[in-house]
Amino acid sequence: MITTSDFKRRVKDPGDVVAGIILLCFSIVLVFYLVPNYINEPAILQNPMMSPRWLPEIVGWLILLFSILLILQGFLLDRSSEEDERNIEKGSTRRFVLMVVALLIYVALFESMGAVFTGILATLVLFVAHPVRTWWVYSMAFVFPIAVTFIFVEVMNVPLPIAPIGF
Amino acid sequence: MENFSEVIEIFFSLDNFLAIAIGVVIGVVVGSIPGLTATMAVALALPFTFSMQPVAAILLLVGIYKGGMYGGSITAILIRTPGSPASACTLLDGYPMAQQGHAKKALKAALYSSVIADFISNIALIFFAAYLAKIALNFGAPEFFWLICFSLTIIISLASGSMIKGLMAALLGILLSLVGLDEVFGSQRFTFGNYNLMDSISFIPLLIGLFAIPEIIEFYRKKALPHIKAKASGAGLSFSELKRCLTTIVRGSLIGVIIGAIPGTGATAAAFISYSDARRRSPNRANFGKGEVEGVAAAEAGNNGVAGATMIPLLSLGIPGDVITAIILGAFMVHGLTPGPLMFQENLSLIYALFMGIMFSSVVLLLVGNVAIKYFSLIADIPKSVLFPIVLMFCVYGAYAVNNDTFDIWVMMAFGVMGYIFNRAAIPAAPFLIGFILGPMFEDNLRRSLLIGHNDLSIFVRGPITWAFIALTVGSISLALYRFISARREARNAAAKSQEV
Amino acid sequence: MNKFLSSAYLAACTSALALGLTLSSASADEWPTNDVRLVVPYAPGGTTDVLSRRVADLLQQELDANVIVENRPGAGSTVGTGRLSRGGRDADHTILMASPGHTIGAAIYPDLTYDPVEDFVFLQNMIDIPNVMVVPADSPYENVIDFVEAAKEENMTFSHSGVGSSIHMSGELFKTLTDTNLTAVPFAGSGAALPALLGGDVDVAFENMPTVLSHIRSGDLRALAVTSAERSEYLPDVPTLSEIGEYNLDQFITTAWFGLIAHSSFPEEAQSKMREALANVMEREEFLDFAEQLGAEPGQVAGEEFKQFIVEDLKRWEDVAEQAGISQ
Repeated sequence: MITTSDFKRRVKDPGDVVAGIILLCFSIVLVFYLVPNYINEPAILQNPMMSPRWLPEIVGWLILLFSILLILQGFLLDRSSEEDERNIEKGSTRRFVLMVVALLIYVALFESMGAVFTGILATLVLFVAHPVRTWWVYSMAFVFPIAVTFIFVEVMNVPLPIAPIGF
Repeated sequence: MENFSEVIEIFFSLDNFLAIAIGVVIGVVVGSIPGLTATMAVALALPFTFSMQPVAAILLLVGIYKGGMYGGSITAILIRTPGSPASACTLLDGYPMAQQGHAKKALKAALYSSVIADFISNIALIFFAAYLAKIALNFGAPEFFWLICFSLTIIISLASGSMIKGLMAALLGILLSLVGLDEVFGSQRFTFGNYNLMDSISFIPLLIGLFAIPEIIEFYRKKALPHIKAKASGAGLSFSELKRCLTTIVRGSLIGVIIGAIPGTGATAAAFISYSDARRRSPNRANFGKGEVEGVAAAEAGNNGVAGATMIPLLSLGIPGDVITAIILGAFMVHGLTPGPLMFQENLSLIYALFMGIMFSSVVLLLVGNVAIKYFSLIADIPKSVLFPIVLMFCVYGAYAVNNDTFDIWVMMAFGVMGYIFNRAAIPAAPFLIGFILGPMFEDNLRRSLLIGHNDLSIFVRGPITWAFIALTVGSISLALYRFISARREARNAAAKSQEV
Repeated sequence: MNKFLSSAYLAACTSALALGLTLSSASADEWPTNDVRLVVPYAPGGTTDVLSRRVADLLQQELDANVIVENRPGAGSTVGTGRLSRGGRDADHTILMASPGHTIGAAIYPDLTYDPVEDFVFLQNMIDIPNVMVVPADSPYENVIDFVEAAKEENMTFSHSGVGSSIHMSGELFKTLTDTNLTAVPFAGSGAALPALLGGDVDVAFENMPTVLSHIRSGDLRALAVTSAERSEYLPDVPTLSEIGEYNLDQFITTAWFGLIAHSSFPEEAQSKMREALANVMEREEFLDFAEQLGAEPGQVAGEEFKQFIVEDLKRWEDVAEQAGISQ
């Protein structure tokens, strides 16, 4: 911890400096690579402001400018009072990992396994992650996905994927 | 007034009252489900109106619209998930209030300001439709351009904490809003060949991702805290508090009315403009964003003020100002009616019956809203370990339902991670949102003006509306600069003093 | 958790159990064996969406099955159409409301993942809506000839509702045929484009009939011509562009068509059933009233004829897109 506090003494807000450097890199990639390569410009233009590249380029340069300011601010401005709000006491890794698993279940399985199945699975994972100790609450993990899917699909005619295995 | 009895005859039928009541209830419920917006509810209800009487049909849809506008704020306040885009602004103060145990107060403040704004908006619709419609017609691309410039200055007042970070967030919002097809030439921008990105990033998954998901991530990353049980989610809104907010509400409503009368700006922008205006004027400026009742009131007044006023261009000009009024226009047509100047000549009694119904819907909203608060505020008492998994499920279902596409779940998750990083780096999300909404409007109206004016820049100062908005923009920036400098000076003086001691 | 919530929860539990039983109750042996999905490749609120919901409502009664409208908007109509072209589990119960976006999209997006003609079966053209060439009421131009002559001299603007819309492409077609100085001014939808036209910010537009009909009748806009092959019964005094006879305008015949298509694997039995049901829908009073309200004519073509129509429409827009230099 000595190195961190040492660093902190010289740099008032290391978070800002890191964010600034990341954004600086991003803006350089944006202005010199993304804009010229991923926006087609029509051959004839009556006015440079009409170009589809005009605004992205300006935004890119402004991000570049502000990221430099952000780095400078990190070096000069002390924001230790805000730091308290930003620091959180980290919980167990197991819980965090299970939460990520639940998010991945949704994005990866939603279309193929259906709304009901992924809903139940992810909700159960999350109930286990931050342990819910009341046993009957676990039945909610089944009731809500089934009931909500039913209401979406049958009552409101909002389609949700239904799994091939029947529900 | 020979028409009067006819108006009464058309209006006073059980069908109409039922339509309004059912509409408002459906609106509040659907609006409060993340991802299911008022727009979607109106579209889904449209087929049911085919077999109804025209007045009842339109009133059902109007009821859903109004209920939905309010319903969106319920989840915004309780679980930081804007039920509809316009309520994104409400959560800035509503959610902190709920976290401090004032869920009920926030919900009540939202309801009362919604109803008052709704009422003012209806009055404007009934008495000033003709004048406001004229403004709408004089509002061309250059006027729009300056309105957007003025609205962009909001960012400065929303960038609490660090100005640099606020502006940075806005720039990122503008940048991401440009993904998709360019409006003038149709060239692809940053789509990387992905057809899902051609129609730009879907707004609703972005919104849910940006606000609800970071809250969930943070909860599972933090050390477990025991659930503090709030008794009946706090007290309601006292009369003195309502009185304190009243001028803010009226001002917000008027902002909503003007924005609503101009086709194409929308309730979300109105909410943010009203919010920043209130913040700029309020003596409690410092408390905004940390759970200020006035902030909730201003946001809700702004977005509900739009509801009645969007009917102005629809009824008097036949121009739908947003998607909801476009669907309502469809409902008119299904029933053999064409909104527009001719309707005021041919179907005047029907229009007045509609007006009565729209007025009545404000009353219904008040009643339904009060019942809704009673039960919805219980959500604030559910432990987060039970609540958040279910909220996440709603978010995923809702995000999917917007376009029936898993890609939008990805979008939601991606913005969730981004929102989480924003939280950690103390970058405010509100300016990002403003940038995302206003960015394309800024660019489109700039280019549109140049096209209309054949590249002659004088079009930007072509009339009194443009001059007024230029003055407002300049004034707003100078005020912000003045405040910024004087705050700096004060801080320096304070620092100097403490050193002397 | 308090008392109310737990009792409400118990009630929810029992009803959810009951629901679980009803979810798996699809029966019958004849098509349709399932709900029919009507895909709208646009967002809610536009002409396509409202028309589809009207048709779905009537079709439901004719087919005696649920018809669910599903919006799959994006990139013109190519996202929703692309999805249909990939077939999949429900392809035998999915139909799509196609419109000029189908052919124009195919003309302007070079790397579409589907063939706009061969990947689909064409069921029924539901309605045709002519576009109307309109100018603001205080415009000095009383007829098409005046306008073209003026537009050859000076720069003029036309509003449209988005790149690749039939309104935009009609303007481009007019520009190429008459060789005039027209500049396209884009708006986000017809709703946003209309005030610019009414307020005189743009000189002309080739708007869809339903958008401008009431404004023409109230005198706020002046119709110079309609784009269909024959005069519209709603504007009998307004000439068609093709009858102008000069400036190559005899080649200008377009309509905004709306018709139902399905994946090429759509079963034969379903096709015939669907055609029969749609023919019945088109005879219904409710449908004809709605078409009248839109200023539309009921569609003329079905099946092979419809397909032939699509092939010609596609060819035309490909030519316009090439000449106007519009291509992504």
